[in-house]
Amino acid sequence: MSDKKLEAKYGLPEKVVFCKRCVMSNQRPASTPEFKHTAESKKTTMHIDAEGICDACRFADEKEKINWEKREQELLQLLDKHRRNDGKYDCIVPGSGGKDSAYQSHVLKYKYGMHPLTITWPPILYTDYGYHNWKNWVEVGGFDNISFKQNGRVMKLLTKLSIENLLHPFQTFILGQKNLAPKVSINYDIPLIFYGENEAEYGNPIADNSTTLRDKSYYSYQHLKEIFLGGVSIEDLINKYDLTLNDLISFLPADHKEIEKANIEVHYLGYYLKWTPQEVYYYAVENTGFKARPFRTQGTYSKYNSIDDKIDDLHYYTTMVKFGIGRATYDASQEIRNKHLTRDDGKALVKRFDGEFPDKYFNEIMEHIEMTPERFHELCDSFRSPHLWKKTDAGWKLRHTVNEDGTDD
Amino acid sequence: MQGIELMEDSKPKVAIIDYEMGNMFSVEHACRYVGLDAVITSDHETIMNADAAILPGVGAFSECMSNLKKFGLDTAIKDFIETEKPFMGICLGLQLLFTESEEFGISSGLDVIKGTVKKFPTLNGDGKKLKVPQIGWNHIYKNPESSGWDDSVLNGLTEKEFMYFVHSYYVVPENSSETLTLTNYCGIEYCSGIQRNNLIAFQFHPEKSGKEGIKIYENWASKIKNTEILN
Amino acid sequence: MFTDVVASLYERNSLDDIISKVAKEVFIPLTVAGGLRTIDDLKKAFRAGADKVSINTAAIKNPLFISEASKKFGSSNIVVTIEAIKHADNNYYAYTDNGREETGIEVLGWAKKAEELGAGEIIITSVDNEGTGHGYDINLTKMVSEAVSIPVVAHGGAGDAKDIKNVIDDGKADAVAIASILHYSYAEKYLEEHKADFKEEGNVSFLNSGRNYSKIQKTSIEDIKNYLSMNEIECRVLN
Repeated sequence: MSDKKLEAKYGLPEKVVFCKRCVMSNQRPASTPEFKHTAESKKTTMHIDAEGICDACRFADEKEKINWEKREQELLQLLDKHRRNDGKYDCIVPGSGGKDSAYQSHVLKYKYGMHPLTITWPPILYTDYGYHNWKNWVEVGGFDNISFKQNGRVMKLLTKLSIENLLHPFQTFILGQKNLAPKVSINYDIPLIFYGENEAEYGNPIADNSTTLRDKSYYSYQHLKEIFLGGVSIEDLINKYDLTLNDLISFLPADHKEIEKANIEVHYLGYYLKWTPQEVYYYAVENTGFKARPFRTQGTYSKYNSIDDKIDDLHYYTTMVKFGIGRATYDASQEIRNKHLTRDDGKALVKRFDGEFPDKYFNEIMEHIEMTPERFHELCDSFRSPHLWKKTDAGWKLRHTVNEDGTDD
Repeated sequence: MQGIELMEDSKPKVAIIDYEMGNMFSVEHACRYVGLDAVITSDHETIMNADAAILPGVGAFSECMSNLKKFGLDTAIKDFIETEKPFMGICLGLQLLFTESEEFGISSGLDVIKGTVKKFPTLNGDGKKLKVPQIGWNHIYKNPESSGWDDSVLNGLTEKEFMYFVHSYYVVPENSSETLTLTNYCGIEYCSGIQRNNLIAFQFHPEKSGKEGIKIYENWASKIKNTEILN
Repeated sequence: MFTDVVASLYERNSLDDIISKVAKEVFIPLTVAGGLRTIDDLKKAFRAGADKVSINTAAIKNPLFISEASKKFGSSNIVVTIEAIKHADNNYYAYTDNGREETGIEVLGWAKKAEELGAGEIIITSVDNEGTGHGYDINLTKMVSEAVSIPVVAHGGAGDAKDIKNVIDDGKADAVAIASILHYSYAEKYLEEHKADFKEEGNVSFLNSGRNYSKIQKTSIEDIKNYLSMNEIECRVLN
């Protein structure tokens, strides 16, 4: 154990602590407004309390105490307020035809009699089974869908920049996922937007959950100057990369003035209906022709979470690099909270799969964004925080793991 | 005979012959279930002193025979059968009693029953493909040449009862009157059980054949107790 | 048949207790699967009361394990399970770790090889169909059953008794394996009779909800057998 104090990047907590119930660590960053994300941004991270239990696990406890009948009544009231019977859409469900959006849209339409318009910000690189799921969602599930296909050149550039500057391959996708719905809502005059799970399920501060509306700061901005895409300011993007504001507009959030005018309401269905990811998966299989990936997702043990974008696997690899948290940790923690796994099961899965390099689509992605694999690995090395990683003869190893087999454990 | 609860030492002792081939657990369990005191053993003396013996068996004929010889159990078995105390052979335990088997050329058996052991063909008489081994449930029915089941351990079972079979080879006894049960697998009729006085042996597994199979053990347990009394 | 389907996933092997308990209660054959990797594992399983053992991951990783096991324990006691997923090229490929790890091994060739190496029985599982109630994969079952001379058990997808008849008639299955089709109704009955609080159970919300899966008929072994007997498929019906 070195006496020298190890630098903790990104404002991450210096001491690595694991939740006593699930397998998540205190290094997990909370969601932030992506368009304010720069290389210097300091992260708010997952809170683990004095008893060693993380916020997400505490939330899971709270979930058990919730009066779901009462919540459903609240939902019915909300829906009654918005339901239209003149043939027009009365709510928006953003999604990709994955299990979550499949469930949301289906339940809203067929159980609660709403008329959702589904909207899709397509993946950077569709997997073929992911594309089939999207198709089945629309064709088997039976929904109208607007898919906004992004300017490919800009998409590639921003993806590359977000990897270069933030080691965050998924930023362009997250930007669209969060920003598209309010804009469609404004344009089509559909004020009600439904997302799925409440982010507190995963450790965003519990205070966020007391209301169902998504914090407006996630999807609006006051000044262009606040905005960074791929870690680069708008000004620099326009000047240095020869882009116009119009090239970037689809990645930008809506103007907050337009949002106030339009009276948009963003709700989490997970606030009103008890959300268990595995049950949602079964629902999707049963009702919208959803099929799992025909092989294990690299970096984890699961087969049905986030499988439509080839870059998704790489994204989780970078969370491993930056926070020491791989995809198996994310998946197992959630399943432990939902009592589908024991903590021992979770630890065994983390040991086996966390941090597995997703080589299946890697070369294709690198070619697509015109980056060399060497450059990517170089970037990874520079993004590793010294307080998490140690370079050994056998390569980079974590200093602390949930199995207590890290170099410093 | 006393009441329902027999004292441990008044239960008839059955030696289940152990030559390291096969799952004896189920046989032991079935014996205990019907009130027999079962012991798994390869000791010559223990076997000879028992009131009854079972020869179970699963696996390759030749390997079984060489194991029996290795433990001196081939002699033990023949000696025991000569005492005419109740003896039951199961599956390979039926086949081993015969003269020889087709497996791997010709392998010699214990020659207690004259006859051979043959392998199921790949096609039956109608050219239909046979899946070998036969694994699963099949009927047993009476041999018209024998005197029926009333006097045997099959007493109380209906004709065409289902039993559980797992085997690739079947026995062909020279003396067909010793055949107690017949079975038909994909058009091939063969001997699935033999009886000669107190020696019985089945191709199927009574301890794996549910309630009806256990009935066979029950009947056998009664026979053992009666034999004991007579002696 | 008892399978710890995630034994290879969790790298564990812990069924001995449950095998012994079950073997004491039933007088029908018991096949055990899940995490059986060495000859010693097989020996322990047999000693605990298993009549047959089934292997998948271990056999694919080391095919000679099949011959070793069948020589030692008798081929009729060694079952090879093949987990098959259909690919875009319309061929079926074998997977391990409960349908997770690709092997690139084509199913038909592997089934034949398993037979050659001494497997006594093959269970052919359609990973695509299992749990869905869409019926068995008839093509897959037929392809394997016709290619080998050992019994082939169809597994994966039964939604009702008719599916079972179909895979026997058209799929040429020598036997069928069923699970979900019995589990839902059994769970329901069990809950009616026992006021269980599931202290040791994990996810109880599903059990308590009494929900079913719409494409799977709730039925019993009795009902299935009666259906089959009435439709010219002979089976052991208890009185």
